[in-house]
Amino acid sequence: MLESPTADVILDALASVLLVVGGLMSLAAGIGLVRLPDLHSRMHAATKPQVLGLLALLLAAAITWRSWELVPIVVLAWGLLLLTAPVSAHVVGRSGYRTKHMRRDLLTHDELASAVERISREQPPNRG
Amino acid sequence: MLETAVHITQVLLALGAAGTVYRIYKGPSVLDRVISLDVMLIIVASMMIVDMVINDHQDFILFVVVTAVIGFLGAVAIARYVVVRSPEEVAPDAPAHDPVPFPPAVPVGSSSQQEGEPETPHQPISTPVMPGVGPLEDESTSWFSALARSGFTPKRREDPMPEEAEPESRQPPKPESQPDSTPKPESTSSPQQQEDRDA
Repeated sequence: MLESPTADVILDALASVLLVVGGLMSLAAGIGLVRLPDLHSRMHAATKPQVLGLLALLLAAAITWRSWELVPIVVLAWGLLLLTAPVSAHVVGRSGYRTKHMRRDLLTHDELASAVERISREQPPNRG
Repeated sequence: MLETAVHITQVLLALGAAGTVYRIYKGPSVLDRVISLDVMLIIVASMMIVDMVINDHQDFILFVVVTAVIGFLGAVAIARYVVVRSPEEVAPDAPAHDPVPFPPAVPVGSSSQQEGEPETPHQPISTPVMPGVGPLEDESTSWFSALARSGFTPKRREDPMPEEAEPESRQPPKPESQPDSTPKPESTSSPQQQEDRDA
């Protein structure tokens, strides 16, 4: 690609910044997992390195490789994560709500509570 | 410059991994450990990317691709089999107005254990997710009725729950052989549905 030395310096600087940003995302996830009080707020912290952190690190790797052939694999890796991370977060959060692994005193508003109340009032529970 | 950035990134990733390991060890429920293991997988993939950057090779990129799929499958598979916590642990200071607690396997005299870890399930095996759910139950709404049967009273700031909905949701499940079209005499809250059936 670019063979001039100034372009190499600029690209290396960009890759360095992206590497440190990706590491900071993982550090934020670790601190959030330790400090946050319940399951759903920990899930909020856990998604930071999954999408943003891995995007930064993959961009840094793609920049330092200097080849267009590996860009589709990088896009595939990040696209797979972008597709699967919301699904797994949805499933974990839903089962966390159903099995009551949450602290209700920390909620400001529970939007699902009205739906649970309405269903349990309208339908006899043995019919479902 | 790139080597310095790689060293800084490795230190940051190690600190993040330390926090993740602490949550896996300490985490009061299975779901906490699941999301922590997800983050752990991502950190391992990040370590492989950093190694590829500093050594200038592309050997590990397929492992990064596979890591994304493995984390997804693990989270989805484990989240299916999480058990319900008993209602006393959810709200320990709530008034015990329920004469017949559901599920009946909840220990009544276990109030001394509630001062310990509040998020630890006491009997994880004996309270399944959907107790008494028959094959006639609609799958899309069965978890609502399971929640309603298990003594789960949702908190709302305005408009508290009326009293006639309380004993209805506490009734034991009927035998499944009863056909759906039979009007139930105790379902007093739906007279319009019966009129629609007769018409």
